[in-house]
This record gives sequence, structure tokens and C-alpha cells, in this order.
Amino acid sequence: MELQMESIKMKQQSIFVLLILAITSLSSCEEEFIPEISSEPAQIVVEGYIEAGEGALPPFVILTRSTPFFSEFSQDTWSKLFVHDAKVVVNDGVKDYVLNEICSDDLTPEMKKNLSTLLGVDLDSSGIDFCAYLDLSFGLKGKEGGSYRLSVHADGQMLDAVTSIPQRVGLDTVWFEQPPGEPSDTLRRMLCYITDPGDQTNYYRFLTKTNNQPFASGSNSVVDDKLFNGIKFKVHLPRRSQRNEKFDPVSYGLYRVGDTAYVKWANIDKSHFDFWSTLEFNKNNQGPFSSYTRTKTNINGGLGIWGGYYVNIYKLIVK
Amino acid sequence: MKRHFLLINFLLSGIFFLTAQTKYTVSGYVRDSLTGETLIGVNIYQQDQPANGTATNEYGFYSLTLSKAPLNLTISYIGYDKQTIRINSPTNQRLNISLYEGLQISEVVVTAEQKDKNVNSTEMSTITLPVETIKKLPALFGEIDIIKSLQLLPGVQFGGEGNSGFYIRGGGADQNLLLLDEANVYNGGHMLGFFSIFNSDAIKGTTLYKGGMPASYGGRLSSVVDIQMKEGNNKDYGMEGGIGLISSRFTVEGPIKKEKSAFLLSGRRTYLFDLLQPFLQKTNYAGTNYFFYDLNAKFNYRFSDKDRLYISGYFGRDILKFQSNQRDFGFKIPYGNTTATIRWNHLFNDKLFMNLSGIYNDYDFSFGGGQAEFQLNVGSGVRDYNLKIDFDYFPDSRNKVEFGAMSIYHRLTPNIVRATNGEINFMSDLTPKYGLENALYIQDDIKWNPRLSTNIGLRFSSFSHIGPYVSSIDSTVYKDFEHIRTFYAVEPRVSAKYSVSPETSIKASLSGTTQYLHLVSNSTSTLPTDVWVPSSELVEPQRGIQYAAGVFRNFFSNTLETSIELYYKDMNHQIDYGESYIASPADEVEKSFVYGIGKSIGAEFFIHKTTGRLNGWISYTLSKTRRKFDDIAGGSWYPVTHDRTHDLNVVANYKINKKLELGAVFVFATGNTYTPLKNLFVTEQDLNIEYGARNSARIQNYHRMDISLNYDPKPDSRKKFKSTWNFSVYNLYNRKNPAFIYNNIETDVNKGTAKAQAIKVSLFPIIPSITWNFKWNQ
Repeated sequence: MELQMESIKMKQQSIFVLLILAITSLSSCEEEFIPEISSEPAQIVVEGYIEAGEGALPPFVILTRSTPFFSEFSQDTWSKLFVHDAKVVVNDGVKDYVLNEICSDDLTPEMKKNLSTLLGVDLDSSGIDFCAYLDLSFGLKGKEGGSYRLSVHADGQMLDAVTSIPQRVGLDTVWFEQPPGEPSDTLRRMLCYITDPGDQTNYYRFLTKTNNQPFASGSNSVVDDKLFNGIKFKVHLPRRSQRNEKFDPVSYGLYRVGDTAYVKWANIDKSHFDFWSTLEFNKNNQGPFSSYTRTKTNINGGLGIWGGYYVNIYKLIVK
Repeated sequence: MKRHFLLINFLLSGIFFLTAQTKYTVSGYVRDSLTGETLIGVNIYQQDQPANGTATNEYGFYSLTLSKAPLNLTISYIGYDKQTIRINSPTNQRLNISLYEGLQISEVVVTAEQKDKNVNSTEMSTITLPVETIKKLPALFGEIDIIKSLQLLPGVQFGGEGNSGFYIRGGGADQNLLLLDEANVYNGGHMLGFFSIFNSDAIKGTTLYKGGMPASYGGRLSSVVDIQMKEGNNKDYGMEGGIGLISSRFTVEGPIKKEKSAFLLSGRRTYLFDLLQPFLQKTNYAGTNYFFYDLNAKFNYRFSDKDRLYISGYFGRDILKFQSNQRDFGFKIPYGNTTATIRWNHLFNDKLFMNLSGIYNDYDFSFGGGQAEFQLNVGSGVRDYNLKIDFDYFPDSRNKVEFGAMSIYHRLTPNIVRATNGEINFMSDLTPKYGLENALYIQDDIKWNPRLSTNIGLRFSSFSHIGPYVSSIDSTVYKDFEHIRTFYAVEPRVSAKYSVSPETSIKASLSGTTQYLHLVSNSTSTLPTDVWVPSSELVEPQRGIQYAAGVFRNFFSNTLETSIELYYKDMNHQIDYGESYIASPADEVEKSFVYGIGKSIGAEFFIHKTTGRLNGWISYTLSKTRRKFDDIAGGSWYPVTHDRTHDLNVVANYKINKKLELGAVFVFATGNTYTPLKNLFVTEQDLNIEYGARNSARIQNYHRMDISLNYDPKPDSRKKFKSTWNFSVYNLYNRKNPAFIYNNIETDVNKGTAKAQAIKVSLFPIIPSITWNFKWNQ
């Protein structure tokens, strides 16, 4: 179990879910429920980021459509979600940058590999024709303290959003220790020191990966400093599970000795924080008696996120 | 000689020259003949003029002014034999009455004919449920449950399995005033709400007011559930208890000084997980456990016929411990209620009765846990100190006046987080909020003539948010007891009854109510983690008004009671969380509140066969409850989660013979509403949910049948020790009722596939249970 960051923002409800499951696991029964299919029109979903800092990725925007609920998703359905031929413009306060659409099927194998790294997806195995809008002039770069307006014109709709890249607050030191409980020869946990500035509310997001995997965010990736404003403290940085990684209670959140571990510690603004916190809260809160949480988006006229990051990337060999 | 007419101790004074026209008062207590326990709600009336009558109050006291003698007084109470007492002389007199339990004498349970109480009294929308009735009903795991039994009555909606919350006439789960010996119970559920905290062996009776609320009650918008603990047998020692599948209970009671004072001690504890302990010891999870227990204690002392002292208390806890030793992770959650009540009954004279109560209650939730050096503690709760005085004044045979005052000092602790990583302590800067709630009330139940009676009451209440406090709006610092913001309310409580015939009456009522403490839940159930918050500089009180009207008609010499009640309720300043609310321990929950209005309309039908080998009731409620919040569902009206179009309950008891009694319950309810998912959208190559409008879909209808068989192997045994068996089957035809729905989404972007499913979970299949009950009397 990973505590620390998680537990600070712990939803006690989930503990009760645990209790309820323990008590009713012998008797409860689950079956699929087919709700009425919604006839709500699709909305345009923006997922775009602009990063500053060492190791920052170039800005990109992915445009998709929301899709009615149905139970199976194939590569084809996935590919059809992308919105093509949109006009995507980012303004950094000085000038407009036009972002152009690139789809994986049109790329050379090497470019495809670069796009795979950028998106964190194995484009070859997925069989999805991934499309993203990129600044091919490479003139647009995120800067600490910068503010960026995104405008999207697609399917006759206008969408816009603003994000900012906050001041850098990095980690002081990062190191490995024996995991709590029984000592292990092969597993380690990662700890760090952080000094939170006291003069403002800070919002953080962190992702991890090992070796050549893409960065993973886990189910609780953001935190604000309300409980630790202005102090220096030690915090545990659990390894984030990759999607579809099998849950193993022994190694969960821990790093394997000998691996190369990466931490992407990002500073984000409030609306960017709100997006992930509502989205993840809702996801984690699927269970007995849970209510719903509507994801807060910063996109006017659509869904999704236009998010700025100040990224701090740390690379360590696990030992 | 028939015991019906067995004589009673009554006091006569020998004044002979008073004329028959002179008014005089007969007053006293009504008690159970065997245990000396006072009886509540016993009807006492003039035999030849039934309209001239009264009922015992919460402490078993009555006062009746009469104008002629000799005459016969009839005393009747459900479950007891009816008595007739002759009054020879028209003088003021103390008449203490002992009633004999009907069960003791008759071969078939012939409950005494209850004199039309439902038809003839001014009160409406009120139901008294004797524990004996509740004990005969089938129960989940054999655990007799008062709150679950109330949910079988018209206008009372259950929240679903695993939810102790109940919803009265469209009100919220926090809008019911749950009282145990006058002490406020802020969380009535164990194990998330699968069971209620009220141990039936320690309970004397339960009265539910779902409308026409008497002026003596206040502080909640929708209803009052007034539960009284047994006093203890002041004649003989006795023990009773039971061993069930998941818990056992044990009660001991007896006189301290015969006929003068008595005590009662009662306990219950679950042991399901205790039985698993030996298996857990060898695993990584040794130390994991869950159990709950209840302790009830009561003591009373009768100084004289005029003065009586009661001290009672309740203590209960749910304890969940989780331990995972391999990674040194563990937590412990204890939560529960504590109540203590001290009461002094004093009789100034035949016509004026007083009760003075000092009450303490506390609900407390805490979580403590962590991994290695990281430890986290979260705690929340409510604590009240309450001083209350009530008078019952019986000036003449036409009026019964009740008046009184109360003052409650509240301390409400929000979720306060303390954490440490071994080096640094983190703490949320939330602090408890304090409140002072005051109320004054007066009501007069007036019999204008044999046909028309009214009960006119008025309640004035106020609530002050007081210091110590630092304003989260402007940072003003308030000292202890300094008033920050005060709210007032004038709450009219009016009801009227008109008898069309001796068996038929029509009634109407109006109740204005105000609620100063609020519990807002982010779940479809009420959870022990939910936090009560006071009206304050941030939150205004909830206000409501309810109109009700009904027709009451009895058939077959009052053995079949029927009623139809209609109600309409307006609720203002209702509270909920916004749609993008996330629980964050660092924030005051009040800052995430949104406000709106609510309304509920309904019709309730009730047919109750009170006597005979086959008895029971059918209740059906047709209702509609809507809410409107600017910040929810785009500001349009939407149905509440527990909106029930149809709610049907059938309850039957059949006495097969002396040894066997069969009980059955059938429940049908329209499915809860829920917020469906509308669309899916992708971020970070994962599917996310976009929801439709709040509560715009419904899960399937709920229905279920339970049966029980009570077996008394030796019904005629005169031995001191007796035992009986209860066999229950919950969900007889194994209906898979949906308890909740959750969404399950799996994506494998590397394969380019995904799956989105809504999963319906049903909790309880068919569950048989067996309970062995025993009783020993000296």
C-alpha cells in the first residue's frame, strides 16, 4: 500500500469500501448492467500540454471526440475518435503559433518512435492511427511563469483555454531506502526532500517510470500544499503502476534494484490541478454508495485539459 | 376472578359530601404488573364517554379531570389486557394502575382493544411501534432492528441495503431527529449501516413522528424517532439474551430496592471476525479484525410518588483494524456514540408534571494508521451538552398543555488531519465549531367537543454560532462564547381532528421546522465518515414546512385500522456538494456546499389488523421528491436519490399454535435514481467518464420477501428459565436487488482495446439465520 502523498488526500470512503467488500465478499453478486444508451451529442476533447524545464517535451495537442458508452473498444473505434483538420493555435502572449496535425500512419518508423515516446504509447502494437497537433516550427517553448492561450477551431466549433507554467519548485534530494516491514534484497522505496515555498499555494503532479517504459501517473497524481505549506519535509514517491500492470501487494509502489528509475516532478497551476484531482477522485471513487464527481475542465466549449508543466526530471539507478 | 379486574392500588380519600357536578382529577402512573416498568401512551378514558380521556406521557404519568362519580374508567394498551376501574368518589385522587400483559393469560394473543387512538387523538402522522411487534418480524442475520422495522411503515423509505439512513416523506437522512432517552444519536448505524445501534432487549418503545410534529421536538426538518430505554424490573431479577449467527446479547435487570429502584444493563457484541482470528494469526494479516458492540445501562429511583430519578446511558463502538505486516501497514478505525441522560420527574400536584433533563451525547469517528514512520490520524465528531425542562399541565378535562425550554451547547469537530513522517508533523488548520441552540415551546391539546379537537403549538428556536473561532471570511478572532451569527425561527405546529363518527375522523396538520445542524454526504448512503456541520457564518439553517391531511377509519370494533394521509412539504435552504466536489481534508466542507430547495408530495395508505391469530399491516406510499439547485443539473428540478414513486410493505404474523408463530415481510420499492454515465472521453490514453444529468436514471425496482418462524418449545412451562428459537430467512426468493452500480473501465492502449462496463452489485442473496433466545426471571 502506498501512503504518504496518497494518505494526505485520502478518501476515507475507500477504506469503508474495503470494509464492505470484506464483509460482503462471500455473499455479494456482481453482474453487468446495461444502461440506456445515451443519445447525447459528442463533444470535442482537448488534451494538450506545454512544458518548461530540462527535458521538457515539445508542446502538443490531441483532439478527440467523446463517445457514447459501449462496452467494447477496438483499434478502429479508437482511431475514429481523433478529430482531423482542426485549426489549432497557441498564443504565448507575444505571437500565435499554428500547430499542425501529424498522424502516426503517415510517419517514418523513426518519427513514429519519437511520437511513441512523446505520447507514451507503443504505436506499433496499438494499431491505432494516433494523431496529434504539433508546432513543426519548434518556435513555441514553454517558459517558467508563462501563460498560454489555446484556440481550436474544429467541426465548426470554437474552443479555447488558458494555462500557465508556474514557478519551479523541484525536489531537494532523491534517494532509495529499504521498504517498510520485512527487508528485501530486490525492492526499494524512493524518498525525497522537498521545500515548499510558503508565499503561495503550490500544486504538484508527479509521474514515474523505469527503464524504457512511458511515464505513468497512477491513480493519485496531484497534490496541493495545503497540509505542508512553507515547510521542508520528506516524502515517499511510490513507483506508479503502468497501465494493465498486475497488482502485486508485495512490490506495489516499490522499485527493483538495478533498474533505472525516472521521476517527473511537475509544477502545475490550479485549473490544471483541478482537472486531475476531480478526474482521479471520480475514478478512485467507483464503488459502493459512491457518488459521482464531474471532471473540472479548463476548456471552454469542450472537455479535457490544456495544461502547463514546469518539469523536473530525476534519473536514478535503483540500489 | 378474572385478572382483568384484579384490583389495583388506588388511593381514595373519604370526602363524601362533594356533589356529582364537582370536577376532580384522577392522576397517577401506569405500570406493567410484573416488571413495574412504566408504560407510555396508555389510554385512560371514561367508559360511558370515551371522548373524555387521556394517555400516559413519556414517563407513564397521566392526569384526567372528571366531572361526575361514580363512573368507570377504562384503561387500554396494546398488548395488555383492558381494565375497568370504578371511581366511586368525586375527589382528587392518585390512581396508580398495573396492567397485565395479554400474552400471559390468553391462549391466543388477544391484544386489548385499543380505543381508537389512531382515530380519536389529535395527532397524526405518528406511529408507535412496540418492541414486541418488532421482535416478531424477520430480520437479517436474525438481528432485530428497530430502524429497519420503521422502514416498513408508510412514508418511511429505506435507503437500500447497507444504509441505515432512512428518508421520511422525502426528507434527507440527516433530517431525522434520532433520540435515545432524549439524547441525540448522530449516527444510528453499525457496520456502515447494515445494523442499527439500538439493542432491542434494552428498548421499551419507539415513536415516530413523520408529520404534525409536537412543539416539544425540534432541530430537524423531517421527523422525530423517539426511542425509550427500558427502566429495569423493580420487582424481580431477570436476565434475557440471545445467541445469533453474528452476535450475542445479554441483559440483566432487577430491583436495587424493591418497588423503589431498579437497574438494567444490556450488552451486545458481534463475533463473526473474532471466529476468524485463529486463521488470520498465521497470515500476513494477523491483527485484522472488525466488530461492534453496544452497552445500555439505566437506573431509576423512586423517592416518592412525586419524585423519580432516572439515569441512563449508551455506549457503542464499531472497531475496524487492518494490519498488513509484510509492508508494515495498518490502520484502526473506531467510531460510535456515547449518550448519558439524567432525568428528574416531579409532580407538583395532580395537574402539573415536570421533567428536568441533563443530557450529554457524543459521536466520534477516528482513523489512525500508517506505514512505517508515516502515521496519519483523522478525527471528527459532535458533542452536545443539553439542559431541558418540560411541563405537562392538565388544567381541566378539555386541555392538556405542554410547555418547556431547552438549551444545547454543541461542539462540532470537522475532519481534523494530523500526520507525521517521523520528522515533521502536518496538521490541517481546521478547528471545531461551537453552537448554542435554544428553544421555548408551548402547545395546548384542546377538546372543543366530542367531535373536534385541536393541538396548537408554537416553538421559538434560536441558534448562535459562537466562539472560539477565527472567521474564514474576514479573519476576525472571536473569543469563547462570543456570538458570531445568530439565527431565529418561529415554528408553528398545528393539528386538528374532526370525528365524523366514532370510527371515522379527518385530521389535518401543519408543521414548521428548522434545522441548525447539517450532515451532507458525498455518497448515496450515509457513512460514518460524514461530518456534521453547524449553521454558522458560512451556512444558513434549513427550513421546512409540511402540510398533511388524512382520513382515519376503523372497522370491526377497531380491530382493523385504516388511514389515508396526504402530505406536501416545502424545504428551503437544502444543502449538497457541488458536482465537482472532491473530499480534501484540508478544506472546510462548508466551502464546497451548494444550496437549493426541495419539495415532496405523497399519499400514504395504511391498513393495520391489530388483533387475531393473523395480524399485520399493508402500507403503500406514492410519492415524488424533487430538488432544485442552481449549481446542480443546470438549475432544473431533479429527483432525489431516494425518490420512491411506489413503496409497498406487507407485514404479517400468524400464530399457528401455542408453540409456533410465523412472520412474513414483503417489500417493493421503486429503484433509486442514479447519475448515469453519458459519454466516455480519452486523456493519457485512458477512458474517462462524462456523466449525464444528476439522478437522471433509475436502477431496477427493489423487492424482497423475508420469513421467520418463532418456536417456543414449552409455552406452558412455569419454569424460571425459558428459551425460544427464531429462524429467519432473509430474501426468501433470492432476488438480486441492485445495491449500487459502479463503472468499470479497462484500457489497453498498447493493444488498442478498451472495455467500459457498468456493474450492478447486489449484496444479500438468500440468508437463513437462527437465533436462540432465553429468558430467566426470579
